[in-house]
Amino acid sequence: MHLASFLSARYIILEKRDLSPVQVYENMIERILHNHTLPINKTEILELVLKREKQAPTALPSGLAIPHIRLKGFEDIVLVMCFLQHPLNIGGTEVSWLTLIITDEKSSNLYLNMVSTLLKLSGNSEAMRSLHEAQDPNALFNQLQRLDLDIHQELYVSDIMSWQPYAIHPEATMRELIAEMDSHQVAGLPVVNETGKYLGEVNILDILKVGVPDYVMMIEDLKFLHSFEPLEKLFERQDDVRVKDIMRKDETYLHPAASVVEAVFIMMQERKRYISVVDNGLLKGVITAMDIFRKIIS
Amino acid sequence: MGAMILALVIFGFTYVMIMTEWINKTTASLLGAFLIIVLRIVDQDSAFRIVDWNVIFLLIGMMIVMGILRETGVFQWIAIKTAKLAKAQPLRIMLMMFAVTAVISAFLDNVTTVMILVPISILIANELKITPVPFIITMAIASNIGGTATMIGDPPNILIGSATHYSFMDFIYHLSPVIIIITIVSLGITWLLFRKGMKVSNTARANLMSYREDNLIANRKLLYRSLVVVFLMLAAFILQDRLQLKIATIAMLAAVILLIFSNRKKVDHVLTKDIDWSTIFFFIGLFIIVEALQQTGFIALVSNNIIAFSHNDLKTTSMIVLWISGVFSAIIDNIPFVTTMIPMIQNIGTHFSGHAMDPVWWSLSLGACLGGNGTLIGASANIVSVGIAHKNGYKLSFWDFTRLGVIYTLSSLAVSTVYILLRYF
Repeated sequence: MHLASFLSARYIILEKRDLSPVQVYENMIERILHNHTLPINKTEILELVLKREKQAPTALPSGLAIPHIRLKGFEDIVLVMCFLQHPLNIGGTEVSWLTLIITDEKSSNLYLNMVSTLLKLSGNSEAMRSLHEAQDPNALFNQLQRLDLDIHQELYVSDIMSWQPYAIHPEATMRELIAEMDSHQVAGLPVVNETGKYLGEVNILDILKVGVPDYVMMIEDLKFLHSFEPLEKLFERQDDVRVKDIMRKDETYLHPAASVVEAVFIMMQERKRYISVVDNGLLKGVITAMDIFRKIIS
Repeated sequence: MGAMILALVIFGFTYVMIMTEWINKTTASLLGAFLIIVLRIVDQDSAFRIVDWNVIFLLIGMMIVMGILRETGVFQWIAIKTAKLAKAQPLRIMLMMFAVTAVISAFLDNVTTVMILVPISILIANELKITPVPFIITMAIASNIGGTATMIGDPPNILIGSATHYSFMDFIYHLSPVIIIITIVSLGITWLLFRKGMKVSNTARANLMSYREDNLIANRKLLYRSLVVVFLMLAAFILQDRLQLKIATIAMLAAVILLIFSNRKKVDHVLTKDIDWSTIFFFIGLFIIVEALQQTGFIALVSNNIIAFSHNDLKTTSMIVLWISGVFSAIIDNIPFVTTMIPMIQNIGTHFSGHAMDPVWWSLSLGACLGGNGTLIGASANIVSVGIAHKNGYKLSFWDFTRLGVIYTLSSLAVSTVYILLRYF
């Protein structure tokens, strides 16, 4: 999500006067209250801001200060920015840019990521110069939009997948496939060629399917059958059935930059518990439902 | 005249699309129908009014009834019971399955019949370690023959029944005798063709005999209720005249009762899976296209020529209708063919009175239904059966099927000829 989505020109102040820190804070708070209804009034907010600054100043060497307060049950983030023509001295640090943030008592990932985005921006001198050159709040806002500042809070497949997946060659026999699955304790494997090119997947059901011909699948109900010869003789064919004969070529796979939400979506929709991760035709890894589950509960 | 030519072009185009399957046949039929409305050959109001809702609701009602009956597992049960009653002897199984398929198909549509029975017959043949190909071919043929016996067995009969005054009982009275004879003759042909070369080991037979078909009936209560409803529905069909009800109403009533029995709250499953909407829309499109031929005078033109050609002789007309329908149905879908033929025969009928037209109508039904066996592409049941065979690795070419199909078709059309001549003239 974008930082600019939290702003508009109304939340940006271009201060040309030479003011004290408290005056700057007051202006910013007024601007918020002008556009927002908050459960507390201006004086209370100012008190909280000053109290927080007293505990530990939020000014940074890069010239950015992030005064902020936390409100119980607020469950949102409101911010206002102030760019100063005459830098302020806050606790010994020269500050030319302030961002006042009001957020929930519990610090959310979003809030933390937003702060880290602001920090990164303040360290980027070229971007900062372009912002300070802006002549009015509208131009400033447009410039912020142009900078396309992403608040990284999505989790990507590449963050949680296993990077060194086991895989099988299409020419491998069913016997080799079973041995491979057995030794790694997995129920399915991606299929790749010598160069690591992703070709498809093969899983335990594909092996069993060798013993269940199509016409059996067409019978609606098999309760009358208690044994079925082709299934029982399945393992006699271990050496003549190859992976390429039974593999699935059109399984859905993911790009490492895909979001975890997309991975979960595909898992639900296609009822599968693992998905191959492919980049540029090459197998990069495998993401399993368990990987995602562990990540979420941690 | 210009409108007639335009209607004929659309009609011909639709036929070619249906035959070549260059686009899906339902799409082709709807395209033709709405082109006719767009080009103002028939206006929308009369086009929608011409759709025979008796046919549409009979089809929908029967699809629901049979879909629910199918869910009870009773058809599979019958198939396996038959194989066991035949003591797992291949030729006996084939003959008994032929008869059973014919009977089931008299009430169930042919494609559904083979879709249920063909996979089981492949399973049985594999268990017995013999080739399933003869089973597959004879089953498709049996379903086409059996479907001819009743008004609800095959779409051509539904169309004829709805367009004429004939009741459910009339179909049984006029068609069942000849279908029974044809079935017996076909069983004889099957016996002659396949009596040799089907040796089966004792172990294989014992395996088949150990099938527990009773496990298939999961919901006995639903089965008994469904059978009662189906029985009452058939009884109502037979008493149709006395009840003063149209056949579609009876079928829909039975369908609604079964919907309540099978699942009181949810019907989506039945409505989406069991009703073949593609067929329903295929019919709707065809009704409109044929109405264009009717309104522009083409139907009258052709039927007057047939009358002139046969010198007002219904014996000749019947024979022409029987054999032309037989040949055409072997090559093209018999549904559009019969839809086109019905107004022509109605037109011829205006020159005659009373029951004089009976043999012509029954000739149309016999020719159109039985002709489907003539080639692989003659009937949907053939295509579906061979499709199942292909998917399981049994290669069956057009000629493999047609070689056998022609024998059955010629013999059944010959029996029909004799029957029509002896019974009606």
